[in-house]
Amino acid sequence: MAKSRGTNGLGAPGSRESLAGAPGEAGAGDELSSLGSDSEINGGGGERRVDKFGFIVGSQSAEGPLEEVPLEVLRQRESKWLDMLNNWDKWMAKKHKKIRLRCQKGIPPSLRGRAWQYLSGGKVKLEQNAGRFDELDVSPGDPKWLDVIERDLHRQFPFHEMFVSRGGHGQQDLFRVLKAYTLYRPEEGYCQAQAPVAAVLLMHMPAEQAFWCLVQICEKYLPGYYSEKLVSEGGQEGEVPLTPLSLPPRKQLVAAWVSSRTVGFLCLR
Amino acid sequence: MGTAEEDYNFVFKVVLIGESGVGKTNLLSRFTRNEFNHDSRTTIGVEFSTRTVMVGNAMVKAQIWDTAGLERYRAITSAYYRGAVGALLVFDITKHQTYDVVERWLKELYDHAEATIIVMLVGNKTDLAQAREVPTEEAKMFAENNGLLFIETSALDSTNVEQAFETILRDIFSKVQKQQQRSPQDNAVSLSSENPHGGSQTPEEKRACCISL
Repeated sequence: MAKSRGTNGLGAPGSRESLAGAPGEAGAGDELSSLGSDSEINGGGGERRVDKFGFIVGSQSAEGPLEEVPLEVLRQRESKWLDMLNNWDKWMAKKHKKIRLRCQKGIPPSLRGRAWQYLSGGKVKLEQNAGRFDELDVSPGDPKWLDVIERDLHRQFPFHEMFVSRGGHGQQDLFRVLKAYTLYRPEEGYCQAQAPVAAVLLMHMPAEQAFWCLVQICEKYLPGYYSEKLVSEGGQEGEVPLTPLSLPPRKQLVAAWVSSRTVGFLCLR
Repeated sequence: MGTAEEDYNFVFKVVLIGESGVGKTNLLSRFTRNEFNHDSRTTIGVEFSTRTVMVGNAMVKAQIWDTAGLERYRAITSAYYRGAVGALLVFDITKHQTYDVVERWLKELYDHAEATIIVMLVGNKTDLAQAREVPTEEAKMFAENNGLLFIETSALDSTNVEQAFETILRDIFSKVQKQQQRSPQDNAVSLSSENPHGGSQTPEEKRACCISL
């Protein structure tokens, strides 16, 4: 969709490449040197310094030393997670508690994107709905939602190098994911609070994968949380109530967690 | 070459880096599964594969991380590199552009990885000799000047793939051994070290009795 709306500031020429990984895409002629290509597109000269999360240093990047897991512990966890992800069904069936415990200890940053797909069930959803995202991706979408989404694109983590520029990969993919959701659940459409969640997902995985994780978050963990009904109960239009009382207690916790981990944690850090 | 997956003394994290389309994934699949895929899709995020090989008198489990789109996922770039003891920096000998950016990849690597990481420059696709754009000598010289190992491979016809991985694993292993001789008590080194005197055992090293995965 963004393709046909190249005049709105999205879709810088030549910067759009399918994240879904079309066969034979590798080495496509129009591909910029993959290294730092976002920086080039963004006109940042490629020398911008970012912290390890991708936030531009001196903006809202992490200040002071963050607690860092010792390397030995990290490598141990990585190996354990690799083993779990390689034998996921077995682990889910027999060692569910152990998975939970390991989540609580912290998923190694290098495997977070992958682990989220497994944990949320987004991976299974994608497999069950192969090709669906591509269909949604090329569909035009309801102009009503597109306008609202576009107004929000540049407001998601503007100091993260992935989202810093209009037309950059981050904003393009964010548009694709959010638009796809409005087509997938037309009765729900788009809710502002979806944007930061989708953005964080996109920091860790391609658009198609992020979409199905978003679907799972919206439908499995927070059913109704993003619906219009809840928004109207919560207060002003477009504002997300922090603890939607209509949700069962456990879901409230999840909702609060999602809010704090994305909006709160990342912005206030 | 041993293949017993669960019986090993060391785990080495090795990352595959380089431009899109140079054949990283096929190098990995050739080494770990002896497979080559002509229509391989672009790697999404990170893939990984392991193979356990005998190096000297030790069983080494090579945990190879095949990365893609690192530029898109800066948020986790440093996480990929963290703890890696080896890197294969791959370019395509038939596409000079993929060689031109090797220096930038090196910088990226040294920015994020441990300074002790062993790097091997790999010129892939030697089966396409008639389309060669990067002379062997040129790449070899660059590698020498920058302290890198160097090899040319073909994931398609298997040329030198085994050698590439074996060489880097052997180099990592000997570095580990040297380190252990120099400073057996030094817990700060990122490479695992075997301590024959029964001191603290770094987690990278697996004893047969403590495999709990």
